[in-house]
Amino acid sequence: MVRFLIPSVAVLLFLLEPEFAMLSPIEIKGQIYYLVPRFLILYLIFISIYYSRQRAVMYGLFFGVLYDVFYIDIIGLYSVLFPLICFLAGSIVKIIHQHLVVTTTISVVLVAILEFILYQFFYLIDFTSIPLSDFLRSRLLPTIIANALFLMILGWAFKYLINARVLQRAREVS
Amino acid sequence: MPHFFFNKKLILLLVGMVFLVALISFSLRDRTNATLPEQIIKDTVGVAQSIVAKPANYIAGVFNNIDSLLNTYEENKRLKARLEEFAAVQAEATELKSDNEKLRELLDKSESLKEFNPIHATVIARNPDQWEEKIILDKGSSHGVEKNMAVMTAKGLVGKVTVVTPFTSEVELLYTSNPNYRVSAMVLGDTEAYGLIEGFDKERNELIMKRIDSSLPVKKGQQVVSSGLGGIFPKNVPIGEITEVSTDDFGLTKMAYVKPSADFSILDYVVIAKRSSTVIDGSDGSATNEDLTHPPEASEEEEK
Repeated sequence: MVRFLIPSVAVLLFLLEPEFAMLSPIEIKGQIYYLVPRFLILYLIFISIYYSRQRAVMYGLFFGVLYDVFYIDIIGLYSVLFPLICFLAGSIVKIIHQHLVVTTTISVVLVAILEFILYQFFYLIDFTSIPLSDFLRSRLLPTIIANALFLMILGWAFKYLINARVLQRAREVS
Repeated sequence: MPHFFFNKKLILLLVGMVFLVALISFSLRDRTNATLPEQIIKDTVGVAQSIVAKPANYIAGVFNNIDSLLNTYEENKRLKARLEEFAAVQAEATELKSDNEKLRELLDKSESLKEFNPIHATVIARNPDQWEEKIILDKGSSHGVEKNMAVMTAKGLVGKVTVVTPFTSEVELLYTSNPNYRVSAMVLGDTEAYGLIEGFDKERNELIMKRIDSSLPVKKGQQVVSSGLGGIFPKNVPIGEITEVSTDDFGLTKMAYVKPSADFSILDYVVIAKRSSTVIDGSDGSATNEDLTHPPEASEEEEK
């Protein structure tokens, strides 16, 4: 049961992201702020940290390809960045302590890095022309806040689910 | 031996990089439509997405309802004031319509650029990273959707179809920074002024209408609609209202800022307009270079 729960949560988050994106460009006092939902990659980072780096990279590749084909139409962007972020997360965690607060911070920082790389890429291919300061103010900051909130609410659930799977696996082995 | 392994990894990485760059540049090219594996993935994800979208749309609808409930009193007052005008306008409209029909019969001209067959569609997803302004609909080529069709809401034009698969279609919204995205538009008034909607002002959140003849009077507050002269969109689809008029970069033509009439922030149901009259296929379409003004039979006879 728990075995199938991990991939199905990933699929669910993948499908929910665009629904949350529809709420996105919000206007506060004439300023427009973009909130980019990054639920899936946050979840994959958690898998990478608490479960298995290799498994997370595989999931990252799979969902990255889906993301590229379905939404972006540029194949090879998310399908590289997702596994890369998962790999980084799995590598960092070997050095530091696995407390929930620490992992939450790392996840949010990694999402910020992902967002920044994407901005640089889209700037390079002329899809966007907004200057760096605007990007930081209207996109990066609100995105970080929104995703940090999301992780504060659901981070413990992810951890609980993944730990249940790890325990189950340990029992199977023994 | 470890040294050898390291080299192997390095070569693998390099090959991967080359492959990646090739793949990205392949997909960045101006492709006319999606390849078969892409279509399969798009359709499968699209079906799953439309299942999730139904309850999500429902919840969003509930919130919208609550929101509009709060404004009911204000709105009611305004609407009552307009209701009185409405009866007069309605009578005038029916009269004009019948007049128009009679005159058309007289001229023996049945086809109009205004007419279109609507295809109703539900928005199932919005590009989550929001770099490109794109939405995905649950109707595709099996429902009669084709590339470049106009997409609108009840309030006005929102964009055009860019990619079609059998069960989904992708729409590029009007406010994109893509420089090749143009819509032929006209300003309604005593004298109709034609121009092109090209580009979007990020700071003002308004569309820019360029190439308006500088001798024509264009004022703030006038309505802008699609002209149908681009060859793809139907005529008279509302686009927005002019908020400011200034001269173009070189001072030869006028340009105007247009506030879009459609609400882009929450799009859930849209209409795809399939134009009834002949649709041309220039570089915007499938680019077949077919000669539409001289039908093929006639030109063959000429050759003989």
